[in-house]
This record gives sequence, C-alpha cells and structure tokens, in this order.
Amino acid sequence: MELDPFQKDALAEFGNIGAAHAATSLSEMLMSPIEMTVPEVRAIDIADLHKHISNEISAIVVFQIQGEVADGGYVVVSMPKETVIYLTNKMLGTTDIDREINEMDQSAAIEIGNIMISAFLDATAELLGIVMLPSPPALAIDMAHAAFESIIAQVASDVNDVLIFNTELTSEVPPVYGGIYMLPNTALTQQLFCMLEQLVEPLS
Amino acid sequence: MENNFFGEETAIILGLGELRVGKCPLGTIGLGSCIALILHDQRRSLAGLAHIMLPESRGIVNRPGKFADTAICALLDEMVVFGSTKSSITALVVGGASMFEFSANSLNIGERNAAAVKDLLQKQGISIEHEETGGKVGRSVYYWPEGKGRLIVKRADGTCTTY
Repeated sequence: MELDPFQKDALAEFGNIGAAHAATSLSEMLMSPIEMTVPEVRAIDIADLHKHISNEISAIVVFQIQGEVADGGYVVVSMPKETVIYLTNKMLGTTDIDREINEMDQSAAIEIGNIMISAFLDATAELLGIVMLPSPPALAIDMAHAAFESIIAQVASDVNDVLIFNTELTSEVPPVYGGIYMLPNTALTQQLFCMLEQLVEPLS
Repeated sequence: MENNFFGEETAIILGLGELRVGKCPLGTIGLGSCIALILHDQRRSLAGLAHIMLPESRGIVNRPGKFADTAICALLDEMVVFGSTKSSITALVVGGASMFEFSANSLNIGERNAAAVKDLLQKQGISIEHEETGGKVGRSVYYWPEGKGRLIVKRADGTCTTY
C-alpha cells in the first residue's frame, strides 16, 4: 500500500484533530499542560512491525472501532509502566513509585484510555460526520510488540501491510509519556480515503 | 546464566509472517499471540524458524510464514533442499499467549495458533522436542541451530530460560 501525498496529509490532519482532543482530555484530567507530536501516518509491512513498535513493558489499552463503521479496526493507547504508576498515584493521592503494577494500576490505565480514546473518536467522527464509538477496552501489560501482534492478526489477515497513525503525548512535569495508535482495517481505510476526499472537494 | 548477549546480536530477527532456514542463529522479538515454530535437524546443524500469525491461510499463498499450514510446508520444503529428511527433523514451539484481559475472544488468537501448529506437526509426523505455549506473557526467542541446538526464551516478566 502506497500513500499519495494528499492521502498522507489528509490522514495526518485527521489524526491530528483526534489526538489533540485526546491530549486536551488528558491535560484536563491532570490539570497540567501536555505536549503532543504531529501525527505520523505510515503504511508499514507487517514484517517490519518490530522496527516501529518497541519491546518495552507497557500498558496497552485497546478499543475496537464500532458505530457506523462495522468492525473498523482498533485504536490503542500505549503507556510505559512508569507513566501508569505515576497516573494511579496522582488519581489516588498515593506516592509509592517503586512498585509493580497492581489492580488499581490496571483500572487506572483502562480509565485513562477510555477518556482519551472517547475524545479521539468523538472528534474524528464529527469531522467526518459519522458515528464512531469505542468498544469496551481490553488491557495488556506486557512487551508492546507482543500486544500489537494480536491486533495486527485481526486487521491484516488478508493483507500484508497496515496503516498506522501514531501521536506521542508527553509532559515534563508531571513525567508522563504515552502514544496513541490507530490501526484501521482495510474497509475502514478505504472509507476514510473517500470521506476525506469528499471533505476537501468544495475547496478544489 | 551464561552470557548470551553476543549471540543475540548476530541472530537474524524475523518479523511477523517471515520464515527462514539456515545454519545461523535465528530469533523473534516480542512474541505475543504469534508462534515461533522452529524445525531443527541436528545432523546438519540446520534450523528453520517461522513467525506464524494465524492458524489458516484459506488459500492465501503470498506470505507462507504468516499462516500455520503454509509455514510448516514451506519450512519442510526448504530444509529438504538443504538435504534434511523429515525423519531427522524435530520441532520446538513457543508463543501463542493470550495477551489481553477483559477482552472478547477475537484478540486472543494464541490458543488457536498453538493448537493448529501442534495438529499440523502431528499430521506431518514431526515430534515436538520442546513446547512453551499459552499463558499471558510475551516472549522473545533465540535459537542456535548448531549440534543439539540451543533455545533461549526471554519472558516479559523478566525471566529467561535456556534449553
């Protein structure tokens, strides 16, 4: 799958709007500024996944995209272990940072994922004038690549390349780092291209 | 635990859906629901590794390493070219974890992958020398084909085992 410059720009802008809303919701929750990178859109061969997704132990919160797009693929929030522990402490008012992930961390990771991804899908769906809803979340705390494999297996059973949107959210104080990924399946990818083209048509 | 970091650097790392046969060290990093299927011919110090993603190809042939059924056939074919016979080949199966909690079954395809690989090996009459499948933990695998072969499995919880 080769993306032409228009498709790449349109998808990056689409991701930008979603990620900006997700960053805002995280920022409001933490009551501190959150920086975000300009979203990257890449069509990658599944064999190269390990060059793009690290092997660091992370909390991976996964949502299937539902709504007016049937089984549209997945959106993912990935946070390193330290970030999850920090966020749990912040929410519960605890201070212990040197510990293993516990049940409270799992709940916190899911809740943060929920808030961010709801904002992401709301904003992007509004842009397109459709309804996109997140499924209930699934959680893995493991090597990031190992968790992504399961998602790739769902979206790339018939194709050998996948479209990945990636935005990184960071903050120095508090020390937070996370990534938002979107992996649309083939049908949703085509649908996105069509809808984005229609969106810019009146201008051209 | 001996120092194995030298070997890892030289190992060829196979991505999702790739397969390779050779005498060099082979590995995969961050194995979740996928399976690392290693076929080993001790007599020739030869091994093949496939990073299998799904149980059935359903007619797709452009990426044999991606599916259990096509991967086993492709590995055996290539090893036969190197002079191996089926009777001298043994198998090692690692991976097939269920990574997600609170999830519908669709994301936890690991069990089906493991079952498909073991079933196909049995049909081919290849014995399984070592198996580490299932569970909830991601794994990285390194394999040295020389002689009896040496397998290192590193798990996400930090444990590491040499066989």
